[in-house]
Amino acid sequence: MLQSQLNNQGLSKQPFRRFSYLTFLAGAIFSCTTASAQDFPEQDITYIVQSGVGGGSDILARTFANVVDELDLLPVNILVENRAGGAGAIAYSFLAQQKGNAHYLGGVGVSFFTTPLLGNSAVDYRDFTPVAAVAYSPYILSVRTESDIMSVEDIRGRPDTTAGTGAVVSDPTLLSRMLERELDTQIRVVPFDGEGEVLSAVLGGHLDLVFGNPSEIIEQIQAGNLRPLAVTASERLASLPDVPTFTELGHDIEHIQLRGLVLPPDVSSEHIAFWEDILRTVAESDLWRSEYVDRFNDEPIFLDSQAFGEQMVETNETYETLMRELDLID
Amino acid sequence: MFEAWGLLFNGIIAASDPTILTGVFFGAIVGLLIGALPGLGPSAGVAILLPIAVTFDGTAAIAALGAVYYGAQYGGAVTAILLGIPGDASAVMTVVDGYPLAKRGKAGQALSISIVASFIGGLIGLVLLTIFATTIARAALAFGPIEMTAVMIFALALVSVLGSTDWIKSFIALFLGVWIGMIGLDPILGMPRYTFGEVMLFEGIDFSILAVGIFGLAEMFASPIVSSADKSKMARFSFRDLMPNFRDIKQCLNPLFSGSVIGFFVGILPGIGAAASSMIAYAFAKRTSKNKEAYGTGTLEGVASPEAANNSASYGNMIPMFALGIPGSGTTAVLMGGLLMIGLQPGPLLFENQPEFVWTIFGSFYIGNLALVAITILMVPLLAACASLRPGYLYPIVIGVVIFGVYSISYSMFDVALTVLFGLVGYVLTRLNYPVVPLVLGVILGPLLERGIRRTLVSSDGDLSVFLHSPIAVVVLALTLSLLTVPRLIRHFNLTRAISDN
Repeated sequence: MLQSQLNNQGLSKQPFRRFSYLTFLAGAIFSCTTASAQDFPEQDITYIVQSGVGGGSDILARTFANVVDELDLLPVNILVENRAGGAGAIAYSFLAQQKGNAHYLGGVGVSFFTTPLLGNSAVDYRDFTPVAAVAYSPYILSVRTESDIMSVEDIRGRPDTTAGTGAVVSDPTLLSRMLERELDTQIRVVPFDGEGEVLSAVLGGHLDLVFGNPSEIIEQIQAGNLRPLAVTASERLASLPDVPTFTELGHDIEHIQLRGLVLPPDVSSEHIAFWEDILRTVAESDLWRSEYVDRFNDEPIFLDSQAFGEQMVETNETYETLMRELDLID
Repeated sequence: MFEAWGLLFNGIIAASDPTILTGVFFGAIVGLLIGALPGLGPSAGVAILLPIAVTFDGTAAIAALGAVYYGAQYGGAVTAILLGIPGDASAVMTVVDGYPLAKRGKAGQALSISIVASFIGGLIGLVLLTIFATTIARAALAFGPIEMTAVMIFALALVSVLGSTDWIKSFIALFLGVWIGMIGLDPILGMPRYTFGEVMLFEGIDFSILAVGIFGLAEMFASPIVSSADKSKMARFSFRDLMPNFRDIKQCLNPLFSGSVIGFFVGILPGIGAAASSMIAYAFAKRTSKNKEAYGTGTLEGVASPEAANNSASYGNMIPMFALGIPGSGTTAVLMGGLLMIGLQPGPLLFENQPEFVWTIFGSFYIGNLALVAITILMVPLLAACASLRPGYLYPIVIGVVIFGVYSISYSMFDVALTVLFGLVGYVLTRLNYPVVPLVLGVILGPLLERGIRRTLVSSDGDLSVFLHSPIAVVVLALTLSLLTVPRLIRHFNLTRAISDN
């Protein structure tokens, strides 16, 4: 019922649909053809978000849908559907069930890798078709303004140093471990429920260090509440030109969070190419820059299906190693 | 301070703009209904409305979303009182006294005091928000894991008064609750705990699922056995019953005031939430009341206190978000997403950079809070009409609504099955005379205490003496100790004096 309504919406935006039904019929009668890119999309696109409304992945999805709409890139709508719960398992197993159907999209969050690694998930990252990455976010190591830590060097040998993370297995945990190794200093990583709680604890002086995304950190820096020490990107950030990268400081720490999209398993190469084109247009548009990249202090990037796929393998390995170090998996 | 009132005055005028007013009314009605619908609470409500709201003009969008949040606090009480099912998590304590009142034919009176309490709690919360937002937000940062642990120990000592006279059964129920609260991924080590290999349990059990099952379904499962003869009269009340009644208000002054203040301050602390604050407020009201025995059997004070607390908490909860750009709960995290989506940068500079926006929103809160009194009084009879049906018709409808509400949390039949399971658990517990309230306390406070202790010990590398280095923790722990010993000592002295007098 719902499905047919969605189809109708698609029809109303596409007056020549009837014609393509005929083509399809003809095709079915006369020969066996694979779906050609002209026939796509046949209905509204559903973008499955693995977390609730208002979270990072959700905002990415909704902004993406708006930009595609404003730029008039598709004859149909993109509907954002939140399927939170089960640490991402609900959304990703639903997406995996839409085998071969390129009308479904999904976002990649940390749980995309970590929940399957913990076991018990029917699907993992290999089950999905990578499309592209459209932005990335570095991390900024910061302390509160009143802290005695003035530079990364000050952390070396400092007793009882603590760092916060919004979840046990996360990029901040990973980065704290890297920093620990680089400085040969023990850092106690304290897990909280979400980045908001971490920020409260750092601002209140209950934690020393925070690795945060620019969208969380930059406002606090501008208000004089936090002091940035270093960024994890390969180059300095345009928004924080005075803050050095870890590489400049001589530390081998470089890590970013990619904002990428995936399709269900077994999607045809035409459909991958179709989506790659759309995502490239979005990533390179001014609108995407102003509505997403600049607003959330992310950095612009475009990685195609293959590059993003390789990145996914690497990210999975990174988390797997981290989880092994944390004794979460054997 | 005078400056704040001036700004607020301008804010209220700005919020009287027709677009914003429409947003407020729309949000308030949606919030009221979502609050009344078992299973869906304010965070789901705000989330559902967010995609629609961001298409309004920016300020109206946030005014509407805010209205959903505080509107839900009004709505939660309606279902709690009429059906004995908490409409949202923070209305759990309202069931304890509200439902027995309704069973005695005093539903109108209970609803009336819940509306008054929601209004007063909201107003006190709003005034505190208006005057002290920035100051309080800074002060709340002093509460880290150590202080939070102390507060939770104090809360547990305070709520110990909520067990039944059978303390062994109370403790068993409490520990069952603490265990349920542990299900999911370990918050510190990250491995699955008591999930039986089920991925669906990784994020733990949603509190509204437990509350709906254990209060709502259990009650309905039990009803063929419990006589339902008194049901017919419970929903019979007139508009006049719903109007504020000054004698009732006077009787409830203390719990109204203490509930509002406690709700507000507990609500500010990050990660604690309205359910915990209404429990602490209820326990405080019971402890300081002259007729403690009446609590739990259907007393107006027992409705006034948690209802004042959860409304006040909803404003306290927004303080870290507005003043610091830090979401303190799931609902404010969604609200913050809303701010970002309309192009505002939440953060410590919001007051400075967007004063007009902030004060207009605060102004809309005052308008919304007042409007909700009228909206609730007008809408309650509609909802109550359903409750006056015979159980044979009513229960299938309610079960349908409950299943719909629970399913729509995350489109999962697993959640529906879990609700039914908790219904059975609640039924068995009630039949065996185990009190349900300690179980609920365990589910809410257990995880908070566990996180506090374990975060403290990770930060201090296992050193317990850090508790003594925090002045706040020392004061709170000393208060806990006196809470546990002083009443006993007084009783002891009174007893010895009585003996020596003889």
